[in-house]
Amino acid sequence: MAFYQAGDSRVHRLNPVTKLVFALVLIIAAFAINVVWWPAVLWLVLLPAVAASGVFRPFMSRTLRYFIPFIALIFLAQGLFYPEGGPVLFHLGPLSVKVNGLLFAAQTALRLLVLIDAFLFLLLTTHPGLLMSALTERGMPPNISYVVSATLQIIPTFRARAQGILQAQRARGLDTGGGGPIRRTRSLVPLVAPLVLGSLTDVEERAVAMEARAFGAPGRRTSLAEIPDSAAQKAARWLMWAFAAATLVANALGVVS
Amino acid sequence: MITFTDFTYAYPTSDAAVLRGIATEIPDGQLCGLVGPGGAGKSTFAYAASGFIPHVMGGESTGGVSVDGRPVADTPLSELVAQVGLVLQDPFNQISGAKFTVREELAFGLENLGLPRAEIIARVDDMLDRLGIAALRDRSPYELSGGQQQLVALGSVLVMRPSVLVLDEPTSQLDPAGTRLVFGALDEVRRTGITVLLVEHKLEQLAGVADRVLVLAGGELRLDGPPETVLADPRLAEWGVGGTRFTEAARRAGDRWPAGRPLPVTLDAAVEGFAR
Repeated sequence: MAFYQAGDSRVHRLNPVTKLVFALVLIIAAFAINVVWWPAVLWLVLLPAVAASGVFRPFMSRTLRYFIPFIALIFLAQGLFYPEGGPVLFHLGPLSVKVNGLLFAAQTALRLLVLIDAFLFLLLTTHPGLLMSALTERGMPPNISYVVSATLQIIPTFRARAQGILQAQRARGLDTGGGGPIRRTRSLVPLVAPLVLGSLTDVEERAVAMEARAFGAPGRRTSLAEIPDSAAQKAARWLMWAFAAATLVANALGVVS
Repeated sequence: MITFTDFTYAYPTSDAAVLRGIATEIPDGQLCGLVGPGGAGKSTFAYAASGFIPHVMGGESTGGVSVDGRPVADTPLSELVAQVGLVLQDPFNQISGAKFTVREELAFGLENLGLPRAEIIARVDDMLDRLGIAALRDRSPYELSGGQQQLVALGSVLVMRPSVLVLDEPTSQLDPAGTRLVFGALDEVRRTGITVLLVEHKLEQLAGVADRVLVLAGGELRLDGPPETVLADPRLAEWGVGGTRFTEAARRAGDRWPAGRPLPVTLDAAVEGFAR
């Protein structure tokens, strides 16, 4: 829910499975072909789709927020500690920055960029409930769907419960305000036990409530949500899978290197 | 119809029976209240009537419980839940967590039963209207008040069209406004002819909706009869159940309450009695 941007673009209206296949195929292709610039090409393929869905700004801002720490870490690690030999660009004390290390860092960073952004594109344009319904309708076990959906909503649930416990603790004189971050963090320790134990107690009642609504019923689930699909989308999914397979074959045969 | 036949039950963690020799029948279309002090076995009674005992809780039992003639112990829970609806105390814990809007939450059980989409839509939209929560349809269940959440829990069960509805203290965690919402909905539910077992501490509200009241104390049924008789019985205090404020007011009024007139359990009966 934190990612999804409501909208009515053509991309939003696509079957969630089509978007999931698109994301998976981009990732497979990015890792299949061992050429430095190749993941960058795939990322450029992603951009028009992002623009067409009207989520360009949140896409770019989240990309920068999540990706920059990765880039820094990768270049630092591979640039300075690349284990194999090769030409050295310059020395930094006992460490040496190698060309191959930087190339490897660039390729890894670009692959991760495709991985993160392919899923970001999916999450920004697809309501998680619709994605789970689409996958459950295709035979994914409902337990998995439940775990994913419940996890997405667990933060507000936990926050509400923690707030209640915090107020009860404050009413009994616990000082949770003021002080530095360490003092504030330490003052939250008394919350942990009631929060965790309370949640475990809730599990039993929640399990009964879930069973009362036939969660354990055998047989195929249906869905309230109408999940759009078309012959064109089905064909597109097959084509995308074929493309992913082609990249794997090309890699196995050493066609592109 | 719910039938208890000389039913005795102990949880797996204890040898002591929580329910002893329960024998009663709740006929079709009746709204039957169940009252008793804490630890009397009321929730156990509710779980037994809805089949969660023995299917989920396990335990040892003798005698039996059946719903519409089907023994609950021999009926798979997944079939039973379409026949018996269960609403619990805590509205928050009854939110599935799997759905993002009230409308989806109401559809959850029907999706699990594999009903066709058109039927799910028709039933869910009808239930939203009947419970007066259509305006909440696109809200997250987590954003609602306790009373509204309990209405959603009630609707999520009723939408499965059970013939029997069991409610275990559905208003115990609600404020007066939330309690009014739930009892208003129950009044609507009883008109549909569904059989209802309502475990409830709020005796005055119960007196206003129940056709019959059972008193459970120490795991045994002590009283059984119409609310105006059972809830005015002086032995309720002895069993730790208390009584309604109206009964207590008439009792304390002494000579000012008309001689020979039964003690009141509802506001209307109290007003009528004091007006004479």
